[in-house]
Amino acid sequence: MMKQLGRIACGVLAGLALTALTLGVTQAATQPRTGGTLNVGFVEDAKTLDPTFSVQWSERQVLYLVYNTLLRMQPDFSLTPELAESWEIQEGGKRVVFKLREGVRFHDGTDFDAEAVKFNLDRRMDEAVGSPQRKQLAGVISKVEVVDSHTVAVTTEAPFAPLLSYLAERPGFMISPAAAEKHGEDFGSNPVGTGPFVFKEWTRGSRIVVEQNPDYWEEDLPYLDGVVFSDMGGSVVGMQRLMTGELDYIDSLTPQDLQLLEGADDIELAQIIVGRWYSYQWQWDKPPFDNAKLRKAIAHAIDRDRLNEVTMRGQARLSNGPTPKGLWWHADGLLGYDHDPEMARKLISEAGAEGMEIGLATPENQVLRQLNQLVQEQLNEVGLKVELEPVAQSEWYSRVVERAINFTPMRWTQRPDPDGLLSILFHSGGFANSTGYSNPEVDRLLEEARMTFDQRQRKELYDQAHRLILQDLPYVPIYFAAEFAAMRDRVMGFQWTPDQVPRFYNVWLAQ
Amino acid sequence: MVSSRLLLGLGIIVTIAGAGILAPLIAPHDPIRTGSVFLGLPTSENWLGTDDLGRDIFSRILYGTQTSLVIGFGAAIVATLIGVPIGLVGGYLRGKTDLVVVQMIDLFVALPGLVLALILTAMLGPSIPNLTLVLGFVMWPTMARLVRGQVLQIREAVFVEAARALGGRDSWIVYEHIWPNTIRIVSAQFAITVSFAIFTSASLSFLGLGVPPPTPDWGSMVREGFQFLALRPLMSIAPGAAVTFTILGFYLVGSSIER
Repeated sequence: MMKQLGRIACGVLAGLALTALTLGVTQAATQPRTGGTLNVGFVEDAKTLDPTFSVQWSERQVLYLVYNTLLRMQPDFSLTPELAESWEIQEGGKRVVFKLREGVRFHDGTDFDAEAVKFNLDRRMDEAVGSPQRKQLAGVISKVEVVDSHTVAVTTEAPFAPLLSYLAERPGFMISPAAAEKHGEDFGSNPVGTGPFVFKEWTRGSRIVVEQNPDYWEEDLPYLDGVVFSDMGGSVVGMQRLMTGELDYIDSLTPQDLQLLEGADDIELAQIIVGRWYSYQWQWDKPPFDNAKLRKAIAHAIDRDRLNEVTMRGQARLSNGPTPKGLWWHADGLLGYDHDPEMARKLISEAGAEGMEIGLATPENQVLRQLNQLVQEQLNEVGLKVELEPVAQSEWYSRVVERAINFTPMRWTQRPDPDGLLSILFHSGGFANSTGYSNPEVDRLLEEARMTFDQRQRKELYDQAHRLILQDLPYVPIYFAAEFAAMRDRVMGFQWTPDQVPRFYNVWLAQ
Repeated sequence: MVSSRLLLGLGIIVTIAGAGILAPLIAPHDPIRTGSVFLGLPTSENWLGTDDLGRDIFSRILYGTQTSLVIGFGAAIVATLIGVPIGLVGGYLRGKTDLVVVQMIDLFVALPGLVLALILTAMLGPSIPNLTLVLGFVMWPTMARLVRGQVLQIREAVFVEAARALGGRDSWIVYEHIWPNTIRIVSAQFAITVSFAIFTSASLSFLGLGVPPPTPDWGSMVREGFQFLALRPLMSIAPGAAVTFTILGFYLVGSSIER
C-alpha cells in the first residue's frame, strides 16, 4: 500500500497562505484551556503504529501525537526545530549535523539522544528490517554518525536537498530503541515515542486511544487529557455523529457532503489549504495511450469546469499540472488543455481512434464515480466509446500499481518537498510511477534538482520538468479539490498542514 | 380457482413489466444524460427530483425496471436450465447418481447466496451478463432440490409404475410422466428465483459490484442516494420501493402457484 506513502501531503502557498491560515484556524486568540477528551472520527484501517513500517494514511494522525519528528513541518511547509534544535549543512550539502534537544525522554523513561537517532535511521535503512521508507533513504544516506551524546551527523552520497523535509515526515519519527528491543515485532501495537500523548489502547478496526504525556517537553502542551480516534463508519454516518456531539472532529468532506451540515450552527468548518490533486492517468507506454494525439484529444475533450461544478460545487481550483499555485515550485504558464471538443474530434480522427472502445476503471468512491460518469459522457461526445469498469475500492490502487489498470482517475496529496511527488510519479524509476512514463530529460532534471540546494536554481529545473510532463501527458490534470474538516465549535486551535494529515498536538477544548 | 394473491402478484408484474417495456415512450427524460440541477427536489418536471448528477430519478427508475427484469428473468432461466435436469436425473435414477447430486446441492446450499455471488462477481467482473450467470448459478441448487424431491414422490406413483411395466424407456417416462408433474413447482420456484435475483443484484450493486454506471439500476441508485440520505431521502427510498414492489409481485405469484 504505497498509495498513502505517496498521497501524503499537500501544498501551501505564499500569497494564499494568509487567507488559508485564517480559514484553517478556529480562533486561537483566547487562552487555551486544559482538560477534556477530543473524539476524532476517522477511517480506522491502521495496521501498525510503528512509524518504521507505517504506510496507511490513517496511521499518521496518531503517529504525530505519540511521536516527535526531528524537524517540524509548519502549516506553510516551512521546517522548524522539533527534536533537533538546530542543524548545519556542511561539505556542500553532503553532510548535515543535527544538534538534538536535551532532557527529552521517551514514554518508557529512557533518554532521547544521538544513539536513538542513529538507531532509528539505521533501522529504516536495514534491508533485513524491510521498512517501506528504505527506498527513500538507503540510496541517499551513506552513514549516520554519533558525534556526541546529543549531536548526530548524517552523510549523504551526494547533496540531497529533500533530506530535511523527509525528517519532518515518516522517516523522522523517533521511536524508543529500548521499547523496540523489548517488544520486537509487537512494537507496532505497543508504540513508545517522545510525543505529547502516550499510547493507551487500540481495538483494531474500531478505535485508538492516547492520553496525555504528563512529562512532555514542550511547555504547556498538550492541553487535552486524551484523544480517542474512532472509526466513523463512512462520512454520512460520521456527519450525523458529529451533529449529535458523539464526535468532535471529522474530515475529508467535499462541498457536496457539507450540504448535510447546513444549518448546524455549532459546527465549524476548516477548509484544507490545498486539496488533493485529481487527475486521469493511463499506461503512457502501451496502446492505445502511447498515441500522443489520443492523449491530447482526451485532455481537450474533458470539460474541467463542468467536473468542478458538479463534483465540487465549483469550489475546486482547476489545475494545469501537479503543483498548485502557492507552493514555491509551482510553474507558471503551463500548457493548459482547454475544453475544445472540436479540437478533440480532429485529434481523434488524426489518431484513427474514432469509435475506439476504452475501459475506464471506476472505484466506489463517490467523487471518482461522479467524475467518471461525466468524463464518459464527454469522451463519448467526441467519438470515443468509453465503458466504466467497476473495481473494488480496496483493490483499485494496488491494481493500478501492478499496471493491471490502463485508464483511471487518480488523486494525490502534496508533500513538503517537490522531490516528494514529482520524483515518485514522473521519474522513470519513481516508486509510484504506474503510468510507465519515461522521459530521459525529465529524469535528468529531477535528479539534478534534488542535488540543488539553491531554491531559485532548483525551481528553474522543476519548471522545465513540469513543461515536459505537461507536453507528454502521463496524467491529465483536473483540479485541486475543495475538502473540509468539520468540528464542534468547542474545538480550538486546529490548523491544517498542507500535507492534509490532521495534527491535534496543540488543539484544546473550550467549555 | 385463482387466488387473490395470484391476481395481485400478476397485477404487479404486469405493471412493472409494462413500465419497463414502455420506458422509452413514457420516461420524461434521458436516464443517462447528466443535467444541470443537482439533487433537485421533486417538481412537475422531475417528479421524484434529480440525482447528484442532475439526472431525473423517475426516468431512471423506469429504465431500471429493464435492468432488473433482464437480470431477474435471465438468472431464473439459467437456474432452471441447470437445476431442473440435475434434479430430474438425481430423483429418478436414485442410487449413486442421486448421492452425487445431493452432495453437490448441499455443498452449494451451505454457502450463503449473497456471499457466493459476491465472490463470483468479483472474480468475473461486474456486468449485466455476468451478474445474470452468477445469480442463476447461485440459485440452481434450490431449484434442483425441489425438483428432485418432487420426482422422488412421483416416480413411486401408480401411473409411473404402470408406464415402467409397459416397458417404457427411462427417458420417455421422465419426459412424458415425470416432467409434466414438476412444472407446477418449477414455475413457482422460477418466480421466486426472479425475485431473489433482483434482490441480490440490488444488494451487489449497493456493495459496488453490480451493474456498472451509468446504466440505470435500482441497487446502484439506492447506493448513490445513501450518500445524501439525510438531505434527499427520496433518492434512495424511491428505487428501494421499486425493488420491494417487484419482489413482492414475483413472490406472491410464486407462493400462490406452490399451494
